[in-house]
Amino acid sequence: MGSRTAELFSEIDKLRTELLNNVEVMTDCRRAEEDISQREILTRIESVILGIVTSLSNDEAPVLALPKRSSWANVSFNTAVGLQMSSGCSVTSIRSDCPSSATKFAQIVKILSVIYRLVQSNAYATKRDIYYNNTQLFGSQRTVDIIVDDISCLLKIPRRSLHVLATSKGLISGDLCYLEEDGTRINCRSSSAAVAVSSNIVGIRNIVSSAKFIMIVEKDATFQRLLDDDFCTKLSPCIIITGKGVPDVNSRLMVRKLWDVLRVPIFALVDADPHGIEIMCIYKYGSVAMSFEAHSLTVPSVMWLGLLPSDLQRLRVPEEALIPLSKRDEGKLNSLLQRPYLTSQPDWQKEMELMQQSKVKAEIQSLAAIAPDFLTSIYLPNKLRYGGWV
Amino acid sequence: MSREIQQVLRLIMLTGKQKQRRVLKTAGGLLVLLWTETELSGQKINCTVLSDLKERMFPCVGPCPEPDPKELSAFTDLYGSLGLLLAFQMKDARHCTSEWRAHIEAFLRTFSLANAEINVHLKFRLSQLDSQQEFKVKIKSNVVQANQPSLKLDVTCSRKSPLCVNKGRWCQGGHPVLGGRLPLSIPPQAMDQGLLGELSVQFVTLLSPCVLQYPNAATELTHIQVLVYSPSNVPISGPSGFFQTLPADLDCQQLGLDRLHCSSFKDLMHGGGTVYAVDQENWDDPEQESVQQSLLVFLFLQHSDPFISHLIDIMATEVLIEHHLEDILNNNRQAVTTALQTELRNTLTAQNHRKKHQDKLHSAAEVIISSSLSIVSSSSNMEFRNTCLNRMKVHDTRELSASLRESLWRVTSWKFIPRGSCYSTQMDELPEGDELCRTEI
Repeated sequence: MGSRTAELFSEIDKLRTELLNNVEVMTDCRRAEEDISQREILTRIESVILGIVTSLSNDEAPVLALPKRSSWANVSFNTAVGLQMSSGCSVTSIRSDCPSSATKFAQIVKILSVIYRLVQSNAYATKRDIYYNNTQLFGSQRTVDIIVDDISCLLKIPRRSLHVLATSKGLISGDLCYLEEDGTRINCRSSSAAVAVSSNIVGIRNIVSSAKFIMIVEKDATFQRLLDDDFCTKLSPCIIITGKGVPDVNSRLMVRKLWDVLRVPIFALVDADPHGIEIMCIYKYGSVAMSFEAHSLTVPSVMWLGLLPSDLQRLRVPEEALIPLSKRDEGKLNSLLQRPYLTSQPDWQKEMELMQQSKVKAEIQSLAAIAPDFLTSIYLPNKLRYGGWV
Repeated sequence: MSREIQQVLRLIMLTGKQKQRRVLKTAGGLLVLLWTETELSGQKINCTVLSDLKERMFPCVGPCPEPDPKELSAFTDLYGSLGLLLAFQMKDARHCTSEWRAHIEAFLRTFSLANAEINVHLKFRLSQLDSQQEFKVKIKSNVVQANQPSLKLDVTCSRKSPLCVNKGRWCQGGHPVLGGRLPLSIPPQAMDQGLLGELSVQFVTLLSPCVLQYPNAATELTHIQVLVYSPSNVPISGPSGFFQTLPADLDCQQLGLDRLHCSSFKDLMHGGGTVYAVDQENWDDPEQESVQQSLLVFLFLQHSDPFISHLIDIMATEVLIEHHLEDILNNNRQAVTTALQTELRNTLTAQNHRKKHQDKLHSAAEVIISSSLSIVSSSSNMEFRNTCLNRMKVHDTRELSASLRESLWRVTSWKFIPRGSCYSTQMDELPEGDELCRTEI
């Protein structure tokens, strides 16, 4: 059994050694961010308010300058970090004297006042709490979500340090135990049920795991399938985590935290389609919108385990299980190939070019067309055993 | 007497129009001189109308008293050689009341509004008392019409700027808007009298004062004045039966107005025409300072008949149009009412947008102030608190709240965005006596 296990993980162990030799330690940088004191947070908020008062004392309409978080022109690619916001980035002016932006100005100042009180009293609230406290002002949950991230970017303070929490949507299971900030002990080892990703990742401590690898699963459906097939027992010790599609910040923080603590290979299991590849890139390189927090959200060492476009040919996945690429898929694929991080991933480029040429995509579920339990019995074990990642 | 003056002006304008076709100057000066003379048979009023039209059309038909040569020379000094002199006499000076004088003034003022290129001088010498007035146009606007000569309107606005607005940034003119053109059917009774051809009405609206440079300023329409002009651009005064009953036919709810009713309040407006006072719905914020505006609606009647070309026939047609105006308007009641509704709606749509923007800004301002104040009040950072109080020159957070609120409201309400087409700072730079003219299309 021991030698079988050693054989199963030999390639993974080799990869781990390689990663540990190559990875740059970024702990100093992150620690500096997490150590922003309460006083400093309050001072940064006060300086925004002072700016407003000063403008009015000069008979000028107050204006807030928000860094543009959605512009590719404001990000640069760093192989060690991923997509990060450039210094001197362009800003959007939010004016208090313009009907089209006055409401947003008010929403920002309102949330600043909420955060100020939370930090002062060392209390926490979720984004949902903030929204429901004034639904008329905010209009939608999404407005609050965006503004909280804008404020985080404006003040250069992580959202969690602003005492604003978000309900996590991700799930985690496998060889992992830890303590929440309030002392609750979390054991992810149940074979049939997953644990919700914590909403306070920074507060997690005493992480205990002997996992050989971590697998990020794109979809909840695939994740549940793995649970049903008792994957974590079959390929023990390991951890599986899903963000249920495009991951929220907590899921990304959790993956990063596990990497920082465990330093084991992290694999991505996504559909062989442009959307899946993009989700995988978010975990690995980050997103434009959250590029200002890239250091704590990205894991540049993530490897693409499957489903690879080359797997479709190699495994002769039945044609009826393949789906033609739509115009939108082709557009997204072209856009992905233009991304700055792809130049450092020639193997990924090859896979994507193969998809471009074949003009087909496939979900992980397509493997069931070969055999019902092909995914967990054959595909994944062989991929992990023989180093079938790129 | 006023009817005679009206006829004379009609003659001058039609003559000028005809001459324009032969490329001769039409604009210039017009002097209306009225003076009383005591004779054995009683006091009489004499009237002389002088123009600098370059071709003498009518010899002076006597016996009519000659005007004072000093007046003549003062006029020719300004405008050059005399082209037209018409004189007539009213036998009974008992009609020369202050109301009559006011009527003449109002008529000429209304004339000047739509004929801004003509400087109108009015002089009274009644019972040894002299008075004179010049209807000089400071700012005129050229309104281009398709297939018609362009209109030259006086768009000067004498309303003073609000106290909190820099005088140099206040638009002293208006921006006429060319509205729709509505064909009118001629009623049978007018046709029987010889009024034939094609008749239509061109709408032009002028809102003043202009606040286009202050997109956030609240406005309130308080008065609407309707002025009707004959095809020769001479004002037609009364009958006003149609316009008296107009408010009942308009859909005030659609316009967002509570009520529209005839008003005798003419101080704000130019004399003549029909004036309506406007009561607005939902105007319930007495703290909100709004700019009161008035709307001038010009109705320019246009007529063409290929079988009429002699001046005397054209003048007769104009008299017919004026005589049958009430019948014409009633004959086209629904169409004219709908057209006026459209013009008013177009004007009020802009005002309603302003109101919505104001409401948005007001709500946002309240949140901004209360949130900012919440942070200042709860801060333990004395340096921050004191800096905020000192910047606003107040002593405590209660005063800070009032001061911030007032300041934010002021800077947002009176946000200034300059427009090249407005008549603001350049007016201060304009040499005395020069006029400003813009073309609005």
